[in-house]
Amino acid sequence: MSYGSIIKVPFGPQHPALKEPGNFLFEVDGEIVVDVKPRIGYNHRGVEKAFELRTYIQNIYLAERICGICSDAHTTCYTQAIEELLGVEAPPRARYIRVIIAELERIHSHALWVGIAAHEIGFDTLFMYVWRDRETVLDMFEMISGNRIHYAMNTIGGVRRDIHADMVSKIKKGLDLLEKRLKYYLNVVQTEQTILKRAVGVGILKPKDAVDLCAVGPTLRASGIKNDVRVDDPYAAYDEIAFNVITHDGCDVLSRILVRCEEMLESIKIIRYGLDSMPEGIIRVQVPMKVPQGEVVSRVEAPRGELIHYAKSNGTTKPERYKVRSPTLGNIPALCKMLLGGYVADIPIVLAGIDPCFACMDRMAFVDVKKNKEWVWTMQQLRRKYAKK
Amino acid sequence: MGLDYAAVEKEVCKKMTAETIVSMIRILVFPGALFLFTLAFFYEWVDRKFFARLQNRYGPLHTGPHGILQPIADFFKLLSKEDITPHASDKLVFILAPIFYFALPLTTLFVIPILSQTSLISFEGDLIFVIFAFTLIIITVFLAGWSSINRFSTIGSMRAAVQMLGYEIPMGLVMVGPAIAAGSLSISRIVEWQSLNFWLILLQPLGFAVFTVCLLAELQFVPFDIPEAETEIVAGWRTEFSGRKLALLRLGRDLELVLASALITSLYLGGSQQFWLIPPIVIFLVKTTFAVMLLSLLRAVFARFRIDQMLSGMWKYLLPLAALQIILIQLGLGG
Repeated sequence: MSYGSIIKVPFGPQHPALKEPGNFLFEVDGEIVVDVKPRIGYNHRGVEKAFELRTYIQNIYLAERICGICSDAHTTCYTQAIEELLGVEAPPRARYIRVIIAELERIHSHALWVGIAAHEIGFDTLFMYVWRDRETVLDMFEMISGNRIHYAMNTIGGVRRDIHADMVSKIKKGLDLLEKRLKYYLNVVQTEQTILKRAVGVGILKPKDAVDLCAVGPTLRASGIKNDVRVDDPYAAYDEIAFNVITHDGCDVLSRILVRCEEMLESIKIIRYGLDSMPEGIIRVQVPMKVPQGEVVSRVEAPRGELIHYAKSNGTTKPERYKVRSPTLGNIPALCKMLLGGYVADIPIVLAGIDPCFACMDRMAFVDVKKNKEWVWTMQQLRRKYAKK
Repeated sequence: MGLDYAAVEKEVCKKMTAETIVSMIRILVFPGALFLFTLAFFYEWVDRKFFARLQNRYGPLHTGPHGILQPIADFFKLLSKEDITPHASDKLVFILAPIFYFALPLTTLFVIPILSQTSLISFEGDLIFVIFAFTLIIITVFLAGWSSINRFSTIGSMRAAVQMLGYEIPMGLVMVGPAIAAGSLSISRIVEWQSLNFWLILLQPLGFAVFTVCLLAELQFVPFDIPEAETEIVAGWRTEFSGRKLALLRLGRDLELVLASALITSLYLGGSQQFWLIPPIVIFLVKTTFAVMLLSLLRAVFARFRIDQMLSGMWKYLLPLAALQIILIQLGLGG
């Protein structure tokens, strides 16, 4: 349907489909989206600057709070970077524990996403069921670390808590239940007609576009491209564990759902293997407070995709510069491509399809689009300009 | 020749007053407005509770036993809230729309037999009136959304109007089915016919299925909650309503649910008929509760359609099915 005139429809920053503030300006011709202009920065928290003001030990907990859902991915990435600067390596048992926690987190993050995706297309029953079963993972986290979301497991030089034998049997029991439920949901997603109607052929991202626009994680793998940091650049104990990289070549929302569902099943296999073949031994090594000069880039496959941390040290107890590239930022250009040519009613599910996490992603830059100029302001300059007089 | 005109007049007046009082009570209290309000709140609770249990939640729990008073508490809470009329809105329509939305289903319920096999108001052709009232309800929805001059409301009301184009014709068609079988356009007669013959759900299962699907669309339940799709257009056509107006809109929705379940009961499940020693009202309540639970069940097991998918589905599948049902009746099957 085309009405010949183009209407601008703002989507966000406050909108029920977005759990966090982000703004997308759509140009709509009838029911068809013809242009998208994303605008981020509503949730900027100045985390990178905060890194420079804190010591390396304090920064572990700051890194944990970059994201509420993939908190472990951020600390793994951070501790990995600092360990490389220090020239130490986490003990083998700690590396296995890191894998187990990371995969549990992947299950909890993907389950959360499947629930939200179901909610976006109005299937609240699936939403409630998936979130109920997600509690199993959260209970495991509570048992292991005492916390449901911010587990604080990683530290520089290893992990802070061990997984004991009695926990292992409980985790395995929980995994059996999860596996049964996940297989059921996978079946529901593949057979329920109303879901298929809303997900097949929606939000198409062709493999070439996905690579060109630097999509990451499940979004990229749903376009049929085998790319996973866990395999390409193994960290923790992933080099000792065999697993499949899940890909689907539907390039649409359904593929994204399927990739995530099957990844959860794959994670269960990884955790089982990890629990069985975890070597005995210490879980952490002592490290000095001061970190020698140098710079390092560390990569981790977070649930949402490839996460990159960069650290520059000047030999003191605090980093000189720290940079975080969260997966959602990498997926934004690809998201705009997916939305083009789609229906207005499909915007929420396509938007949710990349599993956006705006708080992790928000960056601030001063840009003048008309003059094509970019600049940096210090805090004092900002205050002078915007503080109430 | 010794007729005492004054005495006769007095007698007639007395009789009339008594009749007026009785009919006033019947219209205002039982089985009229007050009873219907109670029923509306009760069915909202049934719907919410059953829907929640299907989703493995608890649903209303706090107010009254098992949260049974929650809908009433919600209603009174909304009455006490600030009532905002947006500056840019078309004020007259904006204020009148909730009243109409609440009054229309209430009025329509009077033609449905509840207490016995004849309704409060019954005339040849009240089935047509019901069909007409359903259309009026959607027109009220459209006006309510349109008059609030809100982006989301406007989209929501447009979607409501477009959706009506999809389900109205199949619904009208299948509602004629029972009328053909009973040989009357009066709902009371249809109920009476069913008590003498079979329930029409046995004779016209196809019609029952089509009618239920259309009612889901009329009530804007999932998978047809397109006009108020939360994740797409906030609250759709009722985004701007608050306070008393929202309370009326919610009560109107509940009355619509009562109307829908009462229609399923009357047209296909035999209506309020005496069964053994059980009074018809009990039978009616049991059947309508079943109908409400059926609608809740259906709204729990689907995802939302897109508006174009809904329209094409209605025209491609539902309309031919409705026509097939009528043809079958004409061929002597199901009538």
